Amino acid sequence: MKYLAALAGAFLAAVLTASLSPYVKVLGVAPDFVLIFAACWAMVRGQSEAMFVVPIAGLLRDLTTSDPLGLSVLALSPIVFLALLRELRPVESDFLPALVVVATASLAYSIISMTVLTAVGDDVSWGTALLRLTVPAMVVNPLFAVIVYPPLRWLSPRPRPASFGVGSAVQL
Amino acid sequence: MRTLWWTLAIAGMSLISIVLSQHRTFDPLQNLSLTVAAPIESGIGDLADPASDFFQGVFDRGDIVRENERLRRELERLQTQVAAGEDATRRVRELEDALGFKNSHPDDQLVVADVIAQDPSGLKRALAVNRGSKDGLDEGMVVLSRDGSLVGTLSLVYDDFAWLRLITDPNSAVNVAVLPQGEGNAAARGIAAGDLRSGVTLEMLPTETEISPGDLVTTSGLGGNYPRALLLGTVKTVEDRPQAPSKHALLEPAADVSALETILVVTSFKPARLSAP
Repeated sequence: MKYLAALAGAFLAAVLTASLSPYVKVLGVAPDFVLIFAACWAMVRGQSEAMFVVPIAGLLRDLTTSDPLGLSVLALSPIVFLALLRELRPVESDFLPALVVVATASLAYSIISMTVLTAVGDDVSWGTALLRLTVPAMVVNPLFAVIVYPPLRWLSPRPRPASFGVGSAVQL
Repeated sequence: MRTLWWTLAIAGMSLISIVLSQHRTFDPLQNLSLTVAAPIESGIGDLADPASDFFQGVFDRGDIVRENERLRRELERLQTQVAAGEDATRRVRELEDALGFKNSHPDDQLVVADVIAQDPSGLKRALAVNRGSKDGLDEGMVVLSRDGSLVGTLSLVYDDFAWLRLITDPNSAVNVAVLPQGEGNAAARGIAAGDLRSGVTLEMLPTETEISPGDLVTTSGLGGNYPRALLLGTVKTVEDRPQAPSKHALLEPAADVSALETILVVTSFKPARLSAP
């Protein structure tokens, strides 16, 4: 069931990215709902589910754009590594690391996709793209993650509290 | 360890997919996916228009934008007529010297298509349209706006859909002629190249020619990939650096390429790449 929900969410994100995103440009860039969805899912549900969601989301994204099939799968794959941040819990909040992951994934996505497009012979102006697309995307995608993350968090079961610490000591 | 294996598998499969994709192996799959997604994307796109207005400005800005669009289209139509007139005058002079010349170009045949999606990557300026090879489209065919100015060429064609590469795309380069205002000034030839930052730049213009903002820019016909005398737009600004080997200018496209809804594909003109033996 959870994989079906992930598939439906990824499809919706891909369709929104191709149809709605160009109309809601902020700072000159369109939000990438597929990246935001995949990153938020990874941070809410963990690395093992990210290993399923990321390829599916990337595949669906490629099928609705003019990019070569496989580009988005490759460019989104760093999200799986970034999802480790969830396990490390550098801060008490779940939300702030999610925003950091979305921003970092945006940077990784841009660099990988520009590398692939350059390799297949497309003319990519790296300087302009980094300055005008990548940097704004690192701000804009986390802004839209503020909308996407809470529903995913709300729909997901909370992890059970750890069985050690003060509470467990009292029980003992 | 599991993550490492996953990464290797995904990287391997992605690279193979990219290579196969370059050889058009997945065209049927991409055509099918657009068939499924197109009605939804179209519907969402229609609903998103007010959102777009909102993001562009304040409450009644939508009316101003629509009015601006109407005026822009009117201007584009008039400029197209002027460009065609100016070019026709020049051509008459050339044709007078070439007795026996017969215009071998047939009347233009056009296929009307609707824009159904935009490429979201930001690295490209491309639009998906709802016509494909079944409608007689082929890669490289020239695409015009509803009012007849050049907006791009077809870069990918599936059975039922196609991707249009706009003139603002970094991979787009069109041989153009800048038609200076006033009698006696020769047209300056150059290249209109797409640019992520400024839209379209005019490059390789001869330094000795006088061009100024407002001059019309049309296709020159050189190279055989575009018919002659198609309007692209007007010169916006001219960058005149004394030591530079060529002049550089910015183009204001006649059509608002970011707001295209309907386009015309010229099927009667075969670009050099398609008509070559």
